[in-house]
Amino acid sequence: MFSKEKTIVAYTVEKCKLCGVEAKRKFKEGDFLFAKTSKCNSCDGMLNIEKIFGETLNNISTT
Amino acid sequence: MNYTNIDFDQLFGSSDQTNPVMMLIWIVPIIIFVFYGQRIQLQITSGELKKGIKKLEEYKIESRNELIGYVKKNMNPKDDPTKKIDRFLDYFTIMPVNLDPTGIVVKVRHIVRAREDYSREHVKSLSPETSDFELTKIQTLLEIATSLQMIYKVVNHLFLTAKKQNNYPLILPLQMMMPFIMEEAEAMHKAIPAFKMGQPIGDGIGPMVIGKMMLESKKELIAFQTVLSETEYAGRKLFLLKAEGPGASVGRPGDAIQSIISKNKLDAIIMVDASLKMEGEESATISQGFGAAIGGIGIERFQIEDIATKNEIPIFAIVIKQSIKEAITLMTKEIADKADEIRSQIYEMIQDNTKSGQSILLIGVGNTMGVNQ
Repeated sequence: MFSKEKTIVAYTVEKCKLCGVEAKRKFKEGDFLFAKTSKCNSCDGMLNIEKIFGETLNNISTT
Repeated sequence: MNYTNIDFDQLFGSSDQTNPVMMLIWIVPIIIFVFYGQRIQLQITSGELKKGIKKLEEYKIESRNELIGYVKKNMNPKDDPTKKIDRFLDYFTIMPVNLDPTGIVVKVRHIVRAREDYSREHVKSLSPETSDFELTKIQTLLEIATSLQMIYKVVNHLFLTAKKQNNYPLILPLQMMMPFIMEEAEAMHKAIPAFKMGQPIGDGIGPMVIGKMMLESKKELIAFQTVLSETEYAGRKLFLLKAEGPGASVGRPGDAIQSIISKNKLDAIIMVDASLKMEGEESATISQGFGAAIGGIGIERFQIEDIATKNEIPIFAIVIKQSIKEAITLMTKEIADKADEIRSQIYEMIQDNTKSGQSILLIGVGNTMGVNQ
């Protein structure tokens, strides 16, 4: 009888094309798929937005 | 236990002919249910429906307020846009007469496109400096608010008519349809934040897959809000087609194919789209099949099927199963994680069904909100 409203949090996954490093962060307004965002911390490459998705709060991993 | 010596006279009190209380207990409810049964059922059903209609009214009001707030914040109109937006929300479409169905698709296309073009111009007139990206978002928010208003109006009309006529059978179809209507309305209501923020939705998985394949190649605008690029794979020429992102658009793939086929020979068409899953089916599963995988009112599908038939081009489809809510709200992780697998299935499909030297058209079907190329 009691339906619990689930909170969905949007995440952005960035990936460096050169070294393949991936980073997950909270979604910011203005993010869109395949946009170049910033320089990679591990190499000279650029980070591209690889994925944008939503996860329910109780489902969120800490990676 | 011995069941053979039950005294039915004692059980039903028929031996005592003078017991008026027992008679009332039996007869009164029967009389009430014979004459007022349907009215009682109508009252019970009305209570359930009222709750649903109240929820629909909330969705309608909230979507309108969200739209007005978004327009005021992002378009900076000179005058208060409320009056104009309320007029846009009341726009209706009269579909062409279908007594003689020959050629009806062309008429439907004309009416639907005229509505789209005029509503885009009317929205733009609120603030002509607005970017196309913002314009597509506002147009989608307007579509959502209009649909929620229409759903509320129709459901409320059917409910009030049944109540006015005291007609229980009239309320039955509404009661049966209500869970499905509520599911769709709730999905539309929950889609608003994703469109406001410009986030990819579940339906955008097709454009996401094809958009990534387009990244390194030159893009050209082939039809209204539709981009094309060319690349090669295993000796085959690939034409990649999707709606122009990252705005909220589905493009016009039918017109685009018309343009491509006028200059090139195509040997196969592969369409990648989101598809509604059946109850019990797992979300984000990938299925392959044949035929034009594209939703909507049917005008794009008709055009694609027509071109494919006339030119004898086989159409293959790859669909990603999801619920209505997943399709129009922020893309789930499960769906986003399937992008690479879909891409490898496309390459496998190309290898299995075409030969080296042939040309294949790959279409990423769906709303490209938040998906670039």
